Amino acid sequence: MSTSDDLKTKKDSVEAGDGSGGFIILFFIIGLVASLISGWLLFPKLLYSEKKQPIDFNHALHMELVDEGCESCHFFREDGTYAGVPKLAQCIDCHEEVQGESPDEATFVEEYVTKGREVPWLIYSQQPDCVFFSHVAHVKGAGMDCATCHGPIGESTSLKVYEENRITGYSRDIWGKNISGIKKHTWDRMKMDDCAECHVKNGVNQSSVQTGKGACFVCHK
Amino acid sequence: MKIDRRSFLSFVIGGAAGTALTPLPWKLTDDLSIWTQMWPWTPVPQDGEVSYVNSVCTLCPAGCGISVRKVDDRAVKIEGMAGYPGSNGNACILGMAGLQLLYSPTRVKTPLKRVGNRGEGKWKAISWDDAISEVAGKLGELRKDQSSAVAGIVGSDRGTVPQLLKRLLTAYGSPNFMCSPSMDDSYALTLKLMHGVSASAGFDIENANFVLSFGSGIIEGWGSSVRMFKANSALKDKKGKMVQIEPRLSNTAAKADQWVPVRPGTETVFALGLAYVIIQESLYNKDFVENYTAEFDAFRQMLDAYSPDKVAEITGIDAEAITTLAKAFAGASNPLAVCGRGQGTTPGSLHEFMAVHALNALVGNINKKGGVWAVPAPDYIQWPDPELDDIAQKGIQTARADGAGSEKYPHTASLLNRLPEVINSAAQSPVQALLVSGANPLYALPDSKAVKKAFDKIPFIVSFSSQMDETAQYADIILPNHAYLERYQDVPTPTGLQTPLTGLSKPVLDPLFDTKHTGDAIIMIAKALEGNIAAAFPWDNYEVCLSETLGDKWDALVENGFVAQDFQEPGWEGAFTTPSGKFEFVSKACAAESDKPVFSSVTPEGDEKTYPLILIPYDSMRLSNGFIGNPPFLTKTVEDTVLKGNDIVVEINPATAKDRLFSLNDGAPAMLSTPRGEVRVRVHLSDGIMPGFMAMARGLGHTAYDDYLAGKGANFNELIGPAEDPVSGLDSAWGIRAKLTNVPI
Amino acid sequence: MKKEHSKAKKYGMVIDLDKCTGCGACMVACMAENNVPFKKDESNKLDSITWLRVFKLTNGKSFPDADTCYLPRPCMHCEGEHGHAPCVSVCPATATDYSHETGIVSQIYTRCFGCRYCMAACPYHARYFNWWDPVWPEGMEKLLNPNVSVRMRGVVEKCSFCFHRYQAAKEKAYYEGRQELEEDEYQTACTQACPAGAITFGDLNNPKHAVYELKKDKNAFRLLERLGTNPKVYYISTRKWVRQAGDNYLEGYETEGKVKKHR
Repeated sequence: MSTSDDLKTKKDSVEAGDGSGGFIILFFIIGLVASLISGWLLFPKLLYSEKKQPIDFNHALHMELVDEGCESCHFFREDGTYAGVPKLAQCIDCHEEVQGESPDEATFVEEYVTKGREVPWLIYSQQPDCVFFSHVAHVKGAGMDCATCHGPIGESTSLKVYEENRITGYSRDIWGKNISGIKKHTWDRMKMDDCAECHVKNGVNQSSVQTGKGACFVCHK
Repeated sequence: MKIDRRSFLSFVIGGAAGTALTPLPWKLTDDLSIWTQMWPWTPVPQDGEVSYVNSVCTLCPAGCGISVRKVDDRAVKIEGMAGYPGSNGNACILGMAGLQLLYSPTRVKTPLKRVGNRGEGKWKAISWDDAISEVAGKLGELRKDQSSAVAGIVGSDRGTVPQLLKRLLTAYGSPNFMCSPSMDDSYALTLKLMHGVSASAGFDIENANFVLSFGSGIIEGWGSSVRMFKANSALKDKKGKMVQIEPRLSNTAAKADQWVPVRPGTETVFALGLAYVIIQESLYNKDFVENYTAEFDAFRQMLDAYSPDKVAEITGIDAEAITTLAKAFAGASNPLAVCGRGQGTTPGSLHEFMAVHALNALVGNINKKGGVWAVPAPDYIQWPDPELDDIAQKGIQTARADGAGSEKYPHTASLLNRLPEVINSAAQSPVQALLVSGANPLYALPDSKAVKKAFDKIPFIVSFSSQMDETAQYADIILPNHAYLERYQDVPTPTGLQTPLTGLSKPVLDPLFDTKHTGDAIIMIAKALEGNIAAAFPWDNYEVCLSETLGDKWDALVENGFVAQDFQEPGWEGAFTTPSGKFEFVSKACAAESDKPVFSSVTPEGDEKTYPLILIPYDSMRLSNGFIGNPPFLTKTVEDTVLKGNDIVVEINPATAKDRLFSLNDGAPAMLSTPRGEVRVRVHLSDGIMPGFMAMARGLGHTAYDDYLAGKGANFNELIGPAEDPVSGLDSAWGIRAKLTNVPI
Repeated sequence: MKKEHSKAKKYGMVIDLDKCTGCGACMVACMAENNVPFKKDESNKLDSITWLRVFKLTNGKSFPDADTCYLPRPCMHCEGEHGHAPCVSVCPATATDYSHETGIVSQIYTRCFGCRYCMAACPYHARYFNWWDPVWPEGMEKLLNPNVSVRMRGVVEKCSFCFHRYQAAKEKAYYEGRQELEEDEYQTACTQACPAGAITFGDLNNPKHAVYELKKDKNAFRLLERLGTNPKVYYISTRKWVRQAGDNYLEGYETEGKVKKHR
């Protein structure tokens, strides 16, 4: 039990400090809120620069016109390597002349097709140089869908803004749109842990002496 | 409200707590670690579609089939082309580093005109039209009174490009077309004198089971290196034998079944000693000797002076060992004797070649399976003779500046090694304009200082080099060729191959710079000279010339890269067209010199008192010593017992090093001097070199090229001078007297 | 999703030292294939990065009994006991690892932080440290191979048995609906390049591969076997002194000359 003297002393000491205990808490809260705001909202804005693709592209529209889905344009070469984003040569068959009204189409034909320049597409899922990713192992070997990692991009009608990490230079899609790194879908993130998660679950190449999990030379080069 | 220390701390603590609740620290840590793992300045090679383009390597006369891996339009690696005759699926170390020449910073990117002093490195980029008209202008002026004063230097005289240059000189009116000398010249002369044929020597080494090599670097680049490596491995698989006769434990000597360290310069004597035993023991091939050879008795008589005991005394090899070796050689079913020191880049003593070839004749292994074949020169170049105007008619009658074909050296076609001396001893240089293509004489000819002096006396030098090599640096105008992977070029039979073969080098990628094919440049110069000279070149460009020349072979060449001629062993019947119609052991051409013994040996230059040691060169696969400088990858593989820092390392026997006046530990610096020059070296104590001798690698000491090569080590050619062979006039020097002195401090 | 059930492989090499000419083609093939950098001065062999280095051995005898032999030294991809290679055991960063599936010791450059414990642990000097950032002369970066990532300053690198070629071969196999690789589908750059045919590469566990029989040759040996590193690179030499040199003479020492290794 405390006496009134004790209370007084305590109060005095607080007043002698900054006048009120509320202030301390207020400053604490200000600091807390400010950092939460900057960490959650301001930081992602500062971390990524926004870049526009050179021209827009309608995946959905093209999907209607082709027979073999994604592989019609994003195909495998005969040596099993993945050709990635299509080269101009593949587009030229249909796009020798301007088709339709879209201004992007006009730019595409004028700036790239006629001049024979490749379109400098920004690749959302570009991995660091140390990564070796075998598309054919996943698609043909394991029978996976493109959407498992890339999401329903085939249904999109336009290209989203490309966000480049100012520190690493990589696309935001590797870490994922969610700055806290939480994912809802399998395609939300493309970090090493995401690859490993699936490999562990399916027991793929769990042959490492050091970790007992996946060996490094499965996905690295 | 007053913000004091406490509230500030509170704010900071709140901020820290809040920050910890945001992804910021974790994300930032992750990003920073990625940033440190992938520095932005570390290059990331662009990925793309992989393709392979087949071609033929033209970096040396071996002409191996290559397969160049491309990623989109970048060439990333050279590998061997499977199925190509001889090299079949492999390339040598230089061939595989060839892309470093293609992408080298020392490429000549545009025609250049010298603006500073010779060799100063000051250039002005000029257009092709200006460059061609400048060259044609100078040549046109000179032609008025001195057409024979124009000389051309090429690497080898075979193939369309050297032949176009020769044609230009002929139509212009000059006989002075010269080739870089090599053992191929000595072998060609040997065949001319002993067989009476114009042919190159081919070695059916794959079918030989006893290879007796007189200093030839069978696994160090002699002949066609890749093919020889394969043959050497096959020889081991079939338990064949290889014996290496050489004063130094070269790689070939180390890998041979027997190493015979003869005193250098006595190889001829050693070969004759073996011949003595073979005849004495009656082990020679009677059928061949009795029916197809002439002068056997004269040869036998001459050999009387070469009994094993005598030979032992001269060569330093035990008499019994000589007898045993001779018996083993003659007793093998397919013995093959070869010569040409190291990689065969120097012609050597003609007598030595003839003595060694006589061994093949004794065992009847000529034009037979596993033996030496006379291979006819390629015959696809069938251009009509150019119509010569008066100046040209008169010009080509003039005596050659180098003395080839003269009374003294009637059999030799070209004597580039004599040219520097001829120019230096004349009041006015007999060569007033020089065109150099596919050769780097300022680096590769012996006695570099004398060569440079001679070049100083030539008023106008044109280089066609694609690289800024020593000779290009010294030129007045450079008309840069495409790099070898950017152009078409016919590749005649690889050196040492026993069957005629035509290869085609194809462009692997588009030219990177403003360069032109030397064939095109020559045609352009000819057209600019007008008249009969222009008329001698009826082709629009080189590609037309090449495809027309190759005629019906062209399509197959473009498709497969080579056309192999069906060619069987020529045999003995009708194979010899000497005056006697038989194989001649003792050629009249040699016997004619009455004051000399029929087989002579070459003594090294310098007096023994001043220069107690003898310096010999050695060749290595890791050092390109022709007209191509070492690419960085090759230099990287060079051992530190060959090159240390910028010092060349010479091998010396520990016993010899101990004898010196000052102490010589392994790696110690010293000054090495010869009658021709002096360089700083380091010594490497090696038990693999004969006492009293020193060995130095060829291929270093470039003053041109980039920082990865220039200034490293010393050029052996700065230390040695040429020694004229009495019969051929070719350079037969194999070493020079030398001394080591303390490094001045 | 299918699980992979391929039999464990043990890739290894047999090098015939009698055939090796010391030409160095393997070294250049390796450098070109694996984007190995080069400096202006490479004569200090301690800092000269050569995944595959050809050593020159001498028998230490005097002229004319002297003899030399070349010995190409890639990474030995030691199995140790159950994959505990000397380097793998000491790596604090999990940057180097042993895979039971291929028997290959991996090195992940981005994972490595340059402590160099592995270099101290490796008895073969097969590992090299990047003391400097790699620099290519202007224009020469064009010949970089995209299948191998370029290393940066501060990390250790070594021979990978051209693992990217295994990856590429696997890709082709997947494309063609296969799981297993043929012997010739996966060969290292040095094996492919050796003009003398001295190097043989394949699965030491697979009786159909040439290395399976070659490793049992009576003249076959491995380097420093006594250390228990259990290397996967075998050598063949008919010369006794060479075989003895391979074990540094510490056991069963016989006087056939003192052996020294050139640095």
